[in-house]
Amino acid sequence: MFELTAQNLLADWAGQFLDPRKRLFWGYLGSAFLIALIWMVLLGRERPVSACRKLLARDLWCSASARADYAVFLINTILMGSIVPRLLGHAAVAVFCFSLLHDLFDGRASLLPDAPAWAIAAGFTLVLFVVDDLARYVVHRLMHAVPLLWAFHKVHHSATRLNPLTVLRTHPVEGILFVLRGALVQGLCIGIFVYGFGDRVSLVMVLGANAFKFVFNALGANLRHSEVPIRYWSWLENFLLSPAQHQIHHSENPRHHDRNFGVVLACWDRLFGTYCHSEPNQELRYGLGPAVADPHSLYTLYLLPFREGVGFLHRIFIRRWRRQLTPPLVPTDQYQSNRAIYEID
Amino acid sequence: MTLKNCLVLAAAGLLAISGPALAESYGPFPVTVKGYGGDKSDSTSYTGQAARQVLHNSLKKLAGMGDGSNAAEIKSQMMAYYAGKEEGRAILDPKSKDDFVVLQTEVDQISKGKDLKGKTYKGVVNGWPRKMTGSEVIEFMIDKAATAKGGFDPLTGYDYPQLISKFAMGAVFYNQAVDNYLDEKLAANNKPNNKPYSEGKHYTGKEHSWDEGFGYFGAPAHALSLDAKQAYGIAKKKDIGVADYNKDGKVDLYREMTYAHAYYAADADKSGTNYLHTIFRAFLDGRKLITAAEGEALSDAQRAQLIGYADTIKTNWEQVIAEAAFKYAGSVYKDLEKLQTIVESGGDANDAFRAYGKHWGELKGFAMALEAGGKDLGEVGVRMNRLIGYGPVLLGGGQVIGIDASGDYVIGGNQDMGNYMVHMLKLQKLLAEAYSLSARKNDATAELENLIESLGESLATEND
Ligand SMILES: [Zn+2]
Ligand SMILES: [Zn+2]
Repeated sequence: MFELTAQNLLADWAGQFLDPRKRLFWGYLGSAFLIALIWMVLLGRERPVSACRKLLARDLWCSASARADYAVFLINTILMGSIVPRLLGHAAVAVFCFSLLHDLFDGRASLLPDAPAWAIAAGFTLVLFVVDDLARYVVHRLMHAVPLLWAFHKVHHSATRLNPLTVLRTHPVEGILFVLRGALVQGLCIGIFVYGFGDRVSLVMVLGANAFKFVFNALGANLRHSEVPIRYWSWLENFLLSPAQHQIHHSENPRHHDRNFGVVLACWDRLFGTYCHSEPNQELRYGLGPAVADPHSLYTLYLLPFREGVGFLHRIFIRRWRRQLTPPLVPTDQYQSNRAIYEID
Repeated sequence: MTLKNCLVLAAAGLLAISGPALAESYGPFPVTVKGYGGDKSDSTSYTGQAARQVLHNSLKKLAGMGDGSNAAEIKSQMMAYYAGKEEGRAILDPKSKDDFVVLQTEVDQISKGKDLKGKTYKGVVNGWPRKMTGSEVIEFMIDKAATAKGGFDPLTGYDYPQLISKFAMGAVFYNQAVDNYLDEKLAANNKPNNKPYSEGKHYTGKEHSWDEGFGYFGAPAHALSLDAKQAYGIAKKKDIGVADYNKDGKVDLYREMTYAHAYYAADADKSGTNYLHTIFRAFLDGRKLITAAEGEALSDAQRAQLIGYADTIKTNWEQVIAEAAFKYAGSVYKDLEKLQTIVESGGDANDAFRAYGKHWGELKGFAMALEAGGKDLGEVGVRMNRLIGYGPVLLGGGQVIGIDASGDYVIGGNQDMGNYMVHMLKLQKLLAEAYSLSARKNDATAELENLIESLGESLATEND
């Protein structure tokens, strides 16, 4: 039994690098490496050897921050693999939407009956990609705006050095929110599209991944979490976020805080006023600054968010209780004793 | 896990090597009755059940033969097959077709003096108005079917051949098997194995009880040597080579035909389940166990094992019926979709409505059959009946909501077609979950699940 579990775990870990649906697929890592190399050689006028040395620098990959990334990666695979049924919510949301539409429009729709299947597949793939990108923006922004959520998202921002594995430096609670986000987005899109287009709906895929995601990943998505400040032309950054722009999101500098929440498309940040261009020769310090004493310890990465979260909840509920316990709803002596209990801290 | 895989592989290997030679048939089994002095050498006997299978097939045929002017005649004929025991009743189905020649042409050639009514579920059927018992429902339907043209009533959408057939399959065959032969007849002092079934018979009480259960399932005795498609094809009179196991050039309706639930088990199995062989195998293993007792009373341990086989049969049989209801809920959903398109474009909806009525009749019949197993379906039964209703939702939005004192249908309510489609979606979900279905034919939400599958799981902890 234990052997099987260990095997599964190894398969899960290795799977991150072997599955083209995942960011850390070896092919995407390879293409990111090449892009970084070419960028450094052509634009940074570095010699290939020294560029390679910089990209593979020991002080980056063996830094305390990077080691914490690896630990989180290994631990999360164990936690998430066992506790989260990953596809369950998807079907529930999809069927719910699908059914609801029958009631709303009395029956089944057959939209664009003459449209070819490839066009519908392309449309579905595009819509799914765009809606997913928007949902990621919204959830990400909430993670920063709501103190309770920030307690958990901080884990991602506590990285002081960026490498592609930092993408997995995520607290499991945030991971669960991501599962729900995925269920909502995919369930919604699938429910609506199948309702309208029936069995003509399919996903355009490259190597089993959403075609748009594939392009995004193949074109160096892994450089978002790296210290290679690849920027685009200013006009292009207005449409697509460059790696340098996400690096700004990780910047310790308060000037950069709450900028560039988006993933692929820049339009959400521009639309909601959180957009920021990259800067030439930007030299950033990453992380949360001196406020967090020990950012790479397992305690800070896994338990501290709960402590902080409980603290927020505690304060909120105390206020509620106080309001509810005011006279004359509660006899005075009881109110007094309750007050005594709750005002200890 | 690994051990199990090995065993499965080994078994598959064996099958591949030895092929049909391994397949066993249900019977012949030796005579084990102590002190039997007759000349019979095969104790297998389920001719009464085979006779009821052809009575049911014939009844279904008759239910579609009304032409609007022959009601009295059709009704009396139907009653002769349902409630009569007269000699000389012809087998109306299955009949020879081209080179698919059947051995028997009269019911009596299989077994004499058999009826369906005496074996029909005695309890109340909740899925039908007015709290009728099983046989009251069937006789009520027979009465209505006789006046309907081709068995179909366009005012209510009722397709009587389907309603009568599918419900009777449950109320007679399924009920008799799971509620009688695989239930109380397994008790130690009920039809014991150390006595002949009745005075002078060449089979014991337990042998014959078990055989009768098997006969109601409706599988050909050589079903283990057939795959799902072949077993299914026999009922469709596809290939006499497959059906004619003893190679006498004719299909024996007693031992070589696929009927009723075995047919629907095979239908589901075409989608990858294994109901037919699982049920058949349990019947066969149970019969071997009884035979091995050599005419002695079964020990408690033997009976416990037999009850285990019976449970396998009951569970799978119930699943077969639920799979069929699931399938037709999907058909009804598709029919509603078609009807909607036709109505919106102002086309002629007659044919589509007819198909809708047929599928609805099958759905309703199977749903009521589930109830006839004799166990309380509880909440599942209530929800199932509410989702389906007493009748299909008609184009105007009404449906049958009851039967008045003079036996006429009351149509009322105003349900949207779209809402009824949602009912079918919910019904499929309910059935799939309540009965752990896996064939799930005509799954109306299959496309949703396929797409979710194709998206795969994204890594939950991938941050941005
Ligand atoms: Zn962030
Ligand atoms: Zn990041």
